[in-house]
Amino acid sequence: MSSLDKNKTLDKKYWRSLEQLDNKPEYQRFAKNEFPEEDTEKNHPVSRRTFLSTVGTTLAFAGLTGCRRPVEKIVPYVDAPENLVLGEPEYYATSMPLGTSSYGLVVTCHEGRPVKIEGNELHPSSLGKSNNFMQASILNLYDPDRSRKITNKGKESSWQEFEDAWKEIKTEFDENGGEGLVILGNESSSPSFERLKKEFFKTYPKAEWVTFNSVSDENIYGGIRIASGKNLQPVYHYDKAKIIVALDADPFMMDSENVTSALGFAKGRSISGPHDKMNRLYVAEPGYTITGAMADHRLRIKSSQVIDFTVLLARALESRGTTIPALSAFGAVKQNNIDQRWIDAVADDLISHKGKSLVVAGRRQPKAVHALILSINYALENIDNTIEFHIAEHIQVSDRAALKNLVANIDNGKVNTLVVLSDYPVATIPFDLQIIESLKKIQRTYKLSSSADSVSALLDGDIHSAHNLASWGDCRSMDGTPAIIQPMIEPLFFGKSVLEVLNLIIYGESQKGYNIVRETWKDIFHGESFELSWRKALHDGVYPEGKTRVEPVIIQEIAIEAHLKEFPIENNSTGMEIVFTADHSVYDGRFSNNGWMQELPDPLTKLIWDNAALISTASAKMHGLENGDFISIESGDNSIEIPVWILPGQADDVIILPLGYGNDSNGRIEKGAGFSVNGIRTIDNMDFLSGTKVTRTGKKHVFATTQNHGSMEGRPLIREADLDEYRNDPEFAQHEVHVPDLASLWKEHKYDEGNQWGMSIDLNACIGCGACTISCQSENNIPVVGKEQADYGREMHWMRIDRYFNGDLNNPEIGFQPMACQHCEMAPCEQVCPVAATTHDAEGLNVMTYNRCIGTRYCSNNCAYKVRRFNFFNYTNRLPELVKMAQNPDVTVRSRGVMEKCTFCLQRINRTKRRAKLEGRTVMDGEMRTACQQACPTEAIKFGNILDKKSSIVKAKNSERTYEVLAELNLRPRTSYQARLRNPNPALKS
Amino acid sequence: MSVTAENTGLVIEDIPLVKGDPDFHKITTDICRISEKPITKTPRWWWIAFIISGMLAMNLLIMIGYLAWEGVGVWGVNIPVGWGWAIVNFVFWVGIGHAGTLISAILFLFRQKWRTSINRFAEAMTICAVICAGVFPGIHVGRIWVAYFMFPVPNQMSIWPNFRSPLLWDIFAVGTYFTASALFWYTGMIPDLATYRDRAKSKIKKVVFGILSLGWRGGNRQWKHYEVAYLLLAGISTPLVLSVHSVVSTDFATSIVPGWHTTIFPPYFVAGAIFSGFAMVMTLAILARKVLPALQNYITIDTLERMAKIMMVTGMMVGYAYSTEFFIAWYSGNMYERFAFINRAFGPYWWAYWTMVSCNVIIPQLFWIRKLRRTIPVLFALSIFTNIGMWFERFVIVMSLHADYLPSSWDYYKPTWVDAWTFIGSFGLFLTLFLLFIRFLPVMAMSEVKGVLPRANPHFHHNMPPAHKGEA
Repeated sequence: MSSLDKNKTLDKKYWRSLEQLDNKPEYQRFAKNEFPEEDTEKNHPVSRRTFLSTVGTTLAFAGLTGCRRPVEKIVPYVDAPENLVLGEPEYYATSMPLGTSSYGLVVTCHEGRPVKIEGNELHPSSLGKSNNFMQASILNLYDPDRSRKITNKGKESSWQEFEDAWKEIKTEFDENGGEGLVILGNESSSPSFERLKKEFFKTYPKAEWVTFNSVSDENIYGGIRIASGKNLQPVYHYDKAKIIVALDADPFMMDSENVTSALGFAKGRSISGPHDKMNRLYVAEPGYTITGAMADHRLRIKSSQVIDFTVLLARALESRGTTIPALSAFGAVKQNNIDQRWIDAVADDLISHKGKSLVVAGRRQPKAVHALILSINYALENIDNTIEFHIAEHIQVSDRAALKNLVANIDNGKVNTLVVLSDYPVATIPFDLQIIESLKKIQRTYKLSSSADSVSALLDGDIHSAHNLASWGDCRSMDGTPAIIQPMIEPLFFGKSVLEVLNLIIYGESQKGYNIVRETWKDIFHGESFELSWRKALHDGVYPEGKTRVEPVIIQEIAIEAHLKEFPIENNSTGMEIVFTADHSVYDGRFSNNGWMQELPDPLTKLIWDNAALISTASAKMHGLENGDFISIESGDNSIEIPVWILPGQADDVIILPLGYGNDSNGRIEKGAGFSVNGIRTIDNMDFLSGTKVTRTGKKHVFATTQNHGSMEGRPLIREADLDEYRNDPEFAQHEVHVPDLASLWKEHKYDEGNQWGMSIDLNACIGCGACTISCQSENNIPVVGKEQADYGREMHWMRIDRYFNGDLNNPEIGFQPMACQHCEMAPCEQVCPVAATTHDAEGLNVMTYNRCIGTRYCSNNCAYKVRRFNFFNYTNRLPELVKMAQNPDVTVRSRGVMEKCTFCLQRINRTKRRAKLEGRTVMDGEMRTACQQACPTEAIKFGNILDKKSSIVKAKNSERTYEVLAELNLRPRTSYQARLRNPNPALKS
Repeated sequence: MSVTAENTGLVIEDIPLVKGDPDFHKITTDICRISEKPITKTPRWWWIAFIISGMLAMNLLIMIGYLAWEGVGVWGVNIPVGWGWAIVNFVFWVGIGHAGTLISAILFLFRQKWRTSINRFAEAMTICAVICAGVFPGIHVGRIWVAYFMFPVPNQMSIWPNFRSPLLWDIFAVGTYFTASALFWYTGMIPDLATYRDRAKSKIKKVVFGILSLGWRGGNRQWKHYEVAYLLLAGISTPLVLSVHSVVSTDFATSIVPGWHTTIFPPYFVAGAIFSGFAMVMTLAILARKVLPALQNYITIDTLERMAKIMMVTGMMVGYAYSTEFFIAWYSGNMYERFAFINRAFGPYWWAYWTMVSCNVIIPQLFWIRKLRRTIPVLFALSIFTNIGMWFERFVIVMSLHADYLPSSWDYYKPTWVDAWTFIGSFGLFLTLFLLFIRFLPVMAMSEVKGVLPRANPHFHHNMPPAHKGEA
């Protein structure tokens, strides 16, 4: 799909416009005069007019783009940019930084408008796949509540004013070496950021720099540094691991590098026949995670018990003859409810798979755990096999101690100027630091922010930031591969990037992001000419030659001992244990004003538009709690009130609190959604805390969920078997249901020529993350309906993930089943439509003719899979103009009163067919990829022509695990599923 | 005075169809006076009832307007329950519309003479009910402004309906039924309209009834043609009584939804429709007797009792269908069917199911007791119970949608205030039309009632004083 594969000619596809764009006041005056309406559109800063001017100037100052809305004035390109064919999208490579790592993207742009994100196949952290956050970040770009101007104490200001003001301040700092100047920044892997940071300290040697993120891998880096004595970045190879042990971790969804981890895991799990082997996953965790749902064995333990578990596991390994360095430094631990049989089984498995196993712990766990885990992996010879460590001097890692120190310094009056280079709200800083009170004590504060919040009015400069899709920058992936972030569009509202602000702070003059990044990359490229390398790196999105080197690891036993002396293990958890976690939807809050993410059902609870205090079945019963009951959680003097949601399978006496909701920002999406849990999250207890008291307040909250029923009711929907059962009966999935000989009322169509599209979904690979849902939503212009509508049962997702619990109510297994239109050959929806609005096409697709649909909803009633979605209102009409820019022009926007559903990405099929036809060939296998398929991090979805015997889809459909859901109804779905397998340890079979 | 074995030669004593031994003229005056009153003398009850139901009918219009403006989302429908109260109401009203044609056509063919006192307003009720029913399929679609796509109208857009869809069959079934019922009603009314014309005092009435009565003179030749036409229409309408609700039931029966996909639906729906239709006729007849005491001699307690018997029979047929559904669900061994029925009785909508069973099966058993069959307040109460029960039957059936194949999609349907007011408004429309009928048209088939009087018997005068006395 991407022109990246096709276009080897490097001089074509560059983003080369910003250097031609002069963003000085003169230009802005010119733009204003050119488009006088702009004055009247102040409240709509990116109205169509502004957008046009933006795009026009962006695209090589070439004139103005057009749009297809006939009700508005069309301004054609007067002088079109090179290579642009109207209606043909262009693809550009860029990257999305996240914490200390980054994901490579390929962005689809229509007439200068980025509309869809895919993973970049060349980027080591995305490998062409993506996750929810990558997919949804396009909507953050078009966030209508994004800050639109620079303010000074709440009054409108300008970049020029800020620049002038800073020049004055700078003369003062130049004299005293920057005394009293502090930068509070975010985590970053950006080479330019690193370079500027060095420059910063050259200019202001006495200044300070603090890095802080609310959700961070600080503990992991810290533990590795203690154990190895170096700053290292772990790079996991899940595909090589036969035995995986995840402790309070969620490597497949919420932890860093989840795309590659999930993909690797799925590869290690994929099985081509009964004689094939698959990996085994052990998970010990407090809550239910996506990783836990994939586990072959899952143990429910509290977060605070993970240290006990790890030490017990290490001792079990040592008792089997493997010396674990530094284990002796860990003192006595409590067994409590940790099943020794479980530990023994894991230890046996690990010992027998030395060099082919992997033990990981989550970011919540203290440094000591990570140090011990490294030691265990070292002893199991996993290092340089399933895990390798890259030197990571370049990254900025969050540092809680430094933040605490900074607040103390502010309170002592040692800080006179604070520049916050963090995109995220101040509310993500633990509340006990009283940061707002502290800010008031500082003479001058500046902040770069994406949206205004409660502190904006206090600031001497609240600078609106530019989204990474709209600014120049760079970043490194986990293995250090540098990548350029290139803008897809002129910064909306002329926001500024971190690099541009930092550059001004250092040099006292404005510099374009483009130049800053180029300056940095002069040192990154080696050999060849700069311009050629730059263009290639821009085109590919990565510069693989710039990888960081792999560093050997030697366990520093003395350092671990010293650390343990300083921070002894406290494992006396009492009362209710609170566990803080990044939210599946809004992460640490950065996606909280993102409608797609708010309406994306949580993969486990299926809650939308809210976070909840998650509690186990038994604990809920003990406290007399039902779903929606408010509880008050008290920890010392602090307390919060939040409603509970019962999640079967969680550890007892544990409450999981997802972060990121209820911040004080006022975005139209995030307002009123969810509950802030910051009230009990202190700087010393950012991960988990015990000894809290929980009481029911008596109030009730109405949660909205997209799935009310969690049991399959014994129906053969998700079919799964243990590996042994599969080996005994490879076709167990087909044997689960007896399908009698089926006859048809009328003559059936043969569907035996041309392309006959079909899909296969491997339930053994699907981790249920929901990336497909967001990708589909982005590709197909699926509206967000809001909590109230969704609660009615009117959510619009074409692709949903059904989640079912199975087994013991206290410790159930979880199964996932992606469900979209099955494109039945004998579609029951088609027969009942009175106006023939849904019919079959010659390629076996069940297609909707929106213009013909009158909305009887009969088709949905008669759909056995309930995958049809109805526009009960005009959901799209209400979208702000800015958000409409995110819509895919290839897909019709549906009006109210019509039915819609998955089309197998018909627009992509047609584009692929057109291209094939132009090139005089048939469509090749793998050429046509649906949006869900392309996004899926585990390659669970296969799609293609089922008549092409050599294709991957036919291969998948011929697998003995293949079955069709509800085949006995004679619907002949074109989507089939491959049954799931579990690989339990025979030793743990009870 | 009854017609006895002695004077007719029949062995069994017939129950008199009309009480008080009215002569032909009294019948004419009794019925005509109801609608001949000048506007200023319209009874107060009529005005009160008309204003209230008129306001409710306006409310229906407002609700439809709101619906058309905002979208179907103002109702409680969702995915999976794509059909809610609108379709429940549709089937409910169509069902009610069954009694009229049944009484006029089938009972006519079976020579059930007692039908004559109730057939006119039962037919009128049918027309009103089918109009109410017709409102719902039109407004329940998502894009009301293109609802005409359902009709096979040749157009430049090449839009042609899908004749496999039961919804399309519905259009034809209900449309045909409405046309036939309206024709039947009108044809039966022609002699009475002529009577109205003849008695009319005002110019307007003379003209209007003059046109409507199509030049009826009451001559022998006219009667001959008329009776053949009436018989033919009865013959045409009879299969329609069975077909319309059978076709409506295929909306459900041809689908694959567990709880809908049942071959018993057509007969079961027809029985239910007759059941509910008779209940509504009963309700209206009892009310009419109350407000128009002149009718008490014609709609006798014996007529009501006969209706009660039919309700008991059809009620039991419906009850039998309920149990058969359960049996077949179990017998089929199909887990989805089994679940659908267990869920119906014990799932989230258990209350609706048991309301339905109580009202339709259990309570009508009281009709076994003759005394209760002949006690008007009991009859009235039971007819109301049946109306409620039959509405719930349709609700229960439509709610099969809430839990079908994939448990992940199961959801609960809750109606909104718009649903409720639309339903109430449809009663307003029904009553408004019906009140207008009572006020301006002959509520009873005078000519037919006269025809079943002993006096109409050619041999009557051998034993009786002349039928015409006084000024006639």
